[in-house]
Amino acid sequence: MNTISSRTTAPGMSSLRPSLSLALSLDRLGSVVAVLIGVALFACPFVIYRANRIVAGEGRMLTDALPPPGVLIVLIAALGVASCAALVRNPLIRLAAASVGLGVIFPAVGWSAGFVTPAGNTFARVSPSLGFWLLALSFALLAADALTRLRLGPWARIAAMAAAAGAVALLLVSGAWNDLSLLKEYANRQDIFWREAGQHLWLALGSMTAACLVGLPLGILAHRVRPLRTAILQVLNIVQTIPSIALFGILIAPLGYLSAHVPLAAALGIHGIGAAPAFIALFLYSLLPVVANTVTGLNQVPAAVSDAARGMGLSARQRLCQVDLPLALPVILAGIRIVLVQNLGLATVAALIGGGGFGTFVFQGIGQTAIDLVLLGAIPTVALSFVAAITLDAIVDLTRRGS
Amino acid sequence: MIEIEHLTKRYGATIVVEDVSLRVDEGTIAVIVGTSGAGKSTLLRMINRLVEPSAGRVLIDGQDTMAIPEDELRHRIGYVIQGYGLFPHRTVAENIATVPRLLGWDKRRIAARIEELLDLFQLEPGEFAKKFPHELSGGQQQRVGVARALAAKPGLLLMDEPFGALDPVIRSKAQDDLVAIQRRLGTTIVLVTHDMNEAFQLGDRIAVMDQARLLQYDTPAQLLTHPAEAFVEQLVGTAERPFRLLSLTRVQAALEPGAADGDPILVSESLRDALSRLIWVGRDALPVVDATGAALGRVSVRGILAHGRSIA
Repeated sequence: MNTISSRTTAPGMSSLRPSLSLALSLDRLGSVVAVLIGVALFACPFVIYRANRIVAGEGRMLTDALPPPGVLIVLIAALGVASCAALVRNPLIRLAAASVGLGVIFPAVGWSAGFVTPAGNTFARVSPSLGFWLLALSFALLAADALTRLRLGPWARIAAMAAAAGAVALLLVSGAWNDLSLLKEYANRQDIFWREAGQHLWLALGSMTAACLVGLPLGILAHRVRPLRTAILQVLNIVQTIPSIALFGILIAPLGYLSAHVPLAAALGIHGIGAAPAFIALFLYSLLPVVANTVTGLNQVPAAVSDAARGMGLSARQRLCQVDLPLALPVILAGIRIVLVQNLGLATVAALIGGGGFGTFVFQGIGQTAIDLVLLGAIPTVALSFVAAITLDAIVDLTRRGS
Repeated sequence: MIEIEHLTKRYGATIVVEDVSLRVDEGTIAVIVGTSGAGKSTLLRMINRLVEPSAGRVLIDGQDTMAIPEDELRHRIGYVIQGYGLFPHRTVAENIATVPRLLGWDKRRIAARIEELLDLFQLEPGEFAKKFPHELSGGQQQRVGVARALAAKPGLLLMDEPFGALDPVIRSKAQDDLVAIQRRLGTTIVLVTHDMNEAFQLGDRIAVMDQARLLQYDTPAQLLTHPAEAFVEQLVGTAERPFRLLSLTRVQAALEPGAADGDPILVSESLRDALSRLIWVGRDALPVVDATGAALGRVSVRGILAHGRSIA
């Protein structure tokens, strides 16, 4: 074990000598991560075993969760990452160590599920426990910190995210996680899962698209007509302060009236409850970031640039399309990023009024006290927001041309 | 040729430009000078209709500018402002290509024009074409700004404090370069500045403005020797007057026959430069040569002083 862990840190030794010679110059974040790893390994259960999906479970420490070779591999990898975190400063090595750590514990938890579940028992549920989550958190922290220090360009960040997504997809497709409770919940609801996924994306992306289509022209208008600007932004600000559940409630009455009295509305599927009020509420929430950022972005165009553009004979439309909007684009996209991440999260609440989406699983799970079902709704939501944030951040960076 | 006739601009009760008339001849530089708030920029911006006149008209080569659609008019007039307003999201080449693109020039013609202009402004095309404005120094940005304004070969160039953002050393070089390029291309230039030295260095004619009115529009020498109003005299600076006059006159005017010792002075230099050299080297006279180095005669302190008095 010693030989392997020292080999993991070896490549960093040369660049590290100064800090090692100071003996006690430990990396602060790395030390915290190392302690977390220690606690996760030796003081927390790795998985939870339950006789069926709703009873209370019993924790299984790492030593009971895997066959001896598996225990050894996880221990070696985790301790290796811990020493790397505490002693090595080179971000590339820290990133590699964190990736190896994640690459070991993710399959390991699936392996553990198969190992802990008694053969032939289809009611038993095994899910990751505190120990696993702490390990995953520590490794992810370390990786995120290393990625920040590496200051990757936009393409590299997207590539890193694609690699991580690919690795997770591989685990899902290969069946390595099939014995985990989460995947068992999924297997029971495969059809509904993808339908709700589609609904969730439609709610979040559809309302975002609608907000862009309305918000961009509204923002341009607000930028040009000063008295309108204050009015528009005030109204949108007030909308933003209404809690989501309250807004759903407020929309139920008028939409219910509409569907009862306008046959076309009913034919289009507009009802007091369901997807329509959810879509409209998300749309209203999305307007403020889009409009406010469009105004801010256009305001940031330097006066000399606008003057020169006019003086060279660019028409109003050419100035807007060739100068003002391209220069405002990074700020506008930052607004769209806020909207997308916000909508992906808020769309979960739509399930409360029958709007569908991943929230359906969350609320069903809460109702049944089936935590795995809650996670089946929550984890994809978090993953989607994460992917959306990274992708749009990268796009924002790519549009900052010449600055 | 530009003729400005009774041009007036009012904002409500405030008069910004009051009944200004002046003529700028083809291929000359007219400098509009005055204190801030005198209405110089407004006058300039009425020429390309960035500001619509309240009364009066502007004729370019005899054609009323109001008869030409706004954007089309501006395509024909170069425009350079303080800070240049280069498009930060576009490369140097794309910036210069702005107006030719609007005019629908074909790609090859635009590329050739960009290269020609970068050469003219001593910016190596291979190095600078692909750069973004923020990667350039102030002087380089200024040159790109002027190059962009000249891209579609306008007959008229309007410049509003084009050297205002440059440090003094680069500024004087940029001014010399502008004059050299203007003489070569024969472009008519109307330039706004608040710097009297700049006005004297660049202007074939200088328009002095104060409080919305045009006080005097004349050659630099006339402005010095026959100021129309006390304000013009004050702006020109009475203490500076003889030196400004000398700097407007070439050595040719005070050339004497005979020889002298010392480093020769070029016949094309100004009398001010010649006097400065004479004082510095502590001689009464220096030889004068032409551009080829052939001896033409000499110039003396006494001759310069006598000349200075005779034209004053």
